[in-house]
Amino acid sequence: MSHGDTIPLHPSSQSDIDEIENLMNAGPATVLPAGPPSPPRASIPVSSSPFLPSNLPPPPPSVPAAAAYHKAPTSAAPPAAETSRGGIAADGFGSLPNTLTEPVWDTIKRDLSRVVSNLKLVVFPNPYREDPGKALRDWDLWGPFFFIVFLGLTLSWSASVKKSEVFAVAFAVLAAGAIILTLNVLLLGGHIIFFQSLSLLGYCLFPLDIGAVICMLKDNVIIKIIVVSVTLAWSSWAAYPFMSAAVNPGRKALALYPVFLMYISVGFLIIAID
Amino acid sequence: MEEGYTSLPTSHLLGSVPAAVAEENTKGAAGESSSANLQIFPPANGGYQAPGSPYGGDDQAASSWRGVCSISSYSPYFNVDTDIVVGRLTSSVYPMNDFTRKIDGNPDLYGPIWISTTLVFMLAALGNCATYLMHKRNEPDTTWTFDVTFVNWAACIIYGYALAVPVAFYFLLQYFGCNASLIRLWCMWGYSLFIFVPSALLLIAPVEIFRWIIIILAGAASSWFVALNLKSYTEGSDLMVLIVSALLLQFVLALFIKIFFFV
Repeated sequence: MSHGDTIPLHPSSQSDIDEIENLMNAGPATVLPAGPPSPPRASIPVSSSPFLPSNLPPPPPSVPAAAAYHKAPTSAAPPAAETSRGGIAADGFGSLPNTLTEPVWDTIKRDLSRVVSNLKLVVFPNPYREDPGKALRDWDLWGPFFFIVFLGLTLSWSASVKKSEVFAVAFAVLAAGAIILTLNVLLLGGHIIFFQSLSLLGYCLFPLDIGAVICMLKDNVIIKIIVVSVTLAWSSWAAYPFMSAAVNPGRKALALYPVFLMYISVGFLIIAID
Repeated sequence: MEEGYTSLPTSHLLGSVPAAVAEENTKGAAGESSSANLQIFPPANGGYQAPGSPYGGDDQAASSWRGVCSISSYSPYFNVDTDIVVGRLTSSVYPMNDFTRKIDGNPDLYGPIWISTTLVFMLAALGNCATYLMHKRNEPDTTWTFDVTFVNWAACIIYGYALAVPVAFYFLLQYFGCNASLIRLWCMWGYSLFIFVPSALLLIAPVEIFRWIIIILAGAASSWFVALNLKSYTEGSDLMVLIVSALLLQFVLALFIKIFFFV
């Protein structure tokens, strides 16, 4: 009846007009034109389906569906809306109150999965590496802690003498190094979040962890040097976009040099200790 | 290069220790905020004032300590770009007398800190290599051992020297009535250590006479650099004793590096 009016309009206003039109036409069909607002809205998906063939095909299916999706929490009438709301609550908000009573194993599993996902975001290639602020939005310090302690333990296992001193030096260099490198970027006028940077620098140690384990198993100087160079390049590649994006271009080298110095010294420790 | 840090002009830094500078700066900020207090009252945003807003006035006594602890009060000393640092490094190797002019007005602490750290790593790593090569030359069946205590020793000696000697000279200069700046002294002494970084690479060579020549050359250049800059810094006052003692100290450091790490 009003097709000539609605077709030339913009699609966004078209969808509104469709909704109003549906409401007007749905009034006689549901026998409650002047009733409370929630029952007619809830009946939109049902009543709009007869109008689909006569109207413009693309917009109407999405619009009533979206309307039902948004208004579902206010009007708890249709069972389909109820299931969708249940789905939202389960993955969005429902898990938070349960953390107090959940088994410890679930907590550990959740932390481990977060460590693994952060590790994937930092160390392995993925599209988010170009914007590192997004990549590590959900940072944690468990991963860096494990990687630092693991590297220190691997080095002290492979040392033949003065095992505890090796662990002490490695741990002090890595832990203090992460803090000092972050402070260095901040002092150079960079924009960086302190603990996020600590977390990232810790995750970047993961390739060197792998290299240390390989070097502990293989006792050959040539293999050690090759493995450490590869893992060193990998670690530097992982840390590069974050550190260089934090400062302005004239100071990029000043922010990156200490990071490379720390990784090179750790790599030297891995090679030197047997 | 100082547009971003106009709140702390470097002309105030000369002749003052960093803590005093920070205190002075935050006192200035507190004075500003108290004068702004009069102008802004009543608050412009409809009378609402959040508890703990800067107009409170109770926390002004603690703000001087916050200035010492906050990072932004130290960032003027790291206000350098890559080309500036490279220029300073090259002029610290060539002992021409333009280093004082280069750090004039903008002494940085980035160079001293990372030069010292690089030197610590170099001494610990290359000292081990050099000792191993020297032993292997005398008795070919020596096995590689890594002495991790070299790291501790190198850190104590280099950081201690770069930190304590400028402080001592700062107090001596103040005692003799010369207006000195601690930051500039730290900067100068830190850059004077840079020449030991490339010379540590050459010190690996397991030839004893070559090592001695290298370290004597490096030590002479470094102590000449220190003496020259100290002389141009304390121009007008007769402090030859101090300059000679600084020169000797730097040379003793060079000899110590050779004797302790490159046995």
